[in-house]
Amino acid sequence: MRKGIKAVTLAVLFSLFLLTAVSVHPFGRPPETGMDDYFILNGQEQTGCNNIVTSVVFDYRGIDTLIEAAVLFAAVMGVFMVFGRDVNGW
Amino acid sequence: MDGKGSSRIVRNVTCMLSVPVMVFGLYVVLHGHLTPGGGFAGGAVMATFIALFMVSFGKDISRRLDSGPFSVSESLALLAFVGIALLGIQVTFFSNFLANSGLLFGLTVPFGTNPGFLGTGGVTPLMNLAVGLEVFSGLSLILIVMFRSGGDGDNA
Amino acid sequence: MIFEIVLPVALTGVIISAAAALKFRDMMASVVLLCAMSLFMAASFYILQAPDVAIAEASIGAGISTAVYVIAVSKTGRREDEKGD
Repeated sequence: MRKGIKAVTLAVLFSLFLLTAVSVHPFGRPPETGMDDYFILNGQEQTGCNNIVTSVVFDYRGIDTLIEAAVLFAAVMGVFMVFGRDVNGW
Repeated sequence: MDGKGSSRIVRNVTCMLSVPVMVFGLYVVLHGHLTPGGGFAGGAVMATFIALFMVSFGKDISRRLDSGPFSVSESLALLAFVGIALLGIQVTFFSNFLANSGLLFGLTVPFGTNPGFLGTGGVTPLMNLAVGLEVFSGLSLILIVMFRSGGDGDNA
Repeated sequence: MIFEIVLPVALTGVIISAAAALKFRDMMASVVLLCAMSLFMAASFYILQAPDVAIAEASIGAGISTAVYVIAVSKTGRREDEKGD
């Protein structure tokens, strides 16, 4: 009885979430903003990279990359705190 | 995972494979502004060699890998990343002050499709190198520290 | 042709290997199935014309993440208990 109620609730919630996710905009065609045309038209001339993805990641949105590198550093620190008994100095 | 490691053939092939794997990872990092890749993917490719080394040489030799140089290089690479970002502080925090100028990586790119020239890109190849070294050192540190400590499971 | 035939195969491979990783009681089989899921994911990223993400997913998911899981499973128990959850 409990497993039946759990299964029905899960199915209803899953179908509601799926309906919301599909009906926001047509699947496969994201809405256009003004930034896409600016990056494609001016990206190669201003930054000098042939790869627009790298120029967006490291030049136009460089602070996000800085935060991501800091998160990787914090993850390494966390692993050291759990496993670092045998490292000399601890 | 017993302590002996694999046979002599596997150890020799691992030593011979060290050069192509590290050179390929450095290629992916260094050409990040021309071909797909960049700092994070290239650093992860370089870190898979440490995993291959630890699998083929066994527990007795891999416990003696020192974690000191990896820790120092990870911190220095992250400091270099922030330092390069602070060098162009006259305009803004992350400004690309080397692009389209005459200095180190400052050739101008011809418009449209072209075979890639390595001297272009401005600050992005230097930042790719810093992030690639940081990711390689960080992932190698995780693998070394996890392999060394912990209970002697003797499973698998 | 590629968008109609190869892309649904890769996405179905992701779902099937991810669902099968929950089913086994031997942890090494689950780790191998997670590595296969990462490989199918990298293939579908490549078909959807995103090569940077495909290289990053293939090298990190199928290389480093699988190695960390194998080290963790080999140091603790390999079989999941019968009545544990």
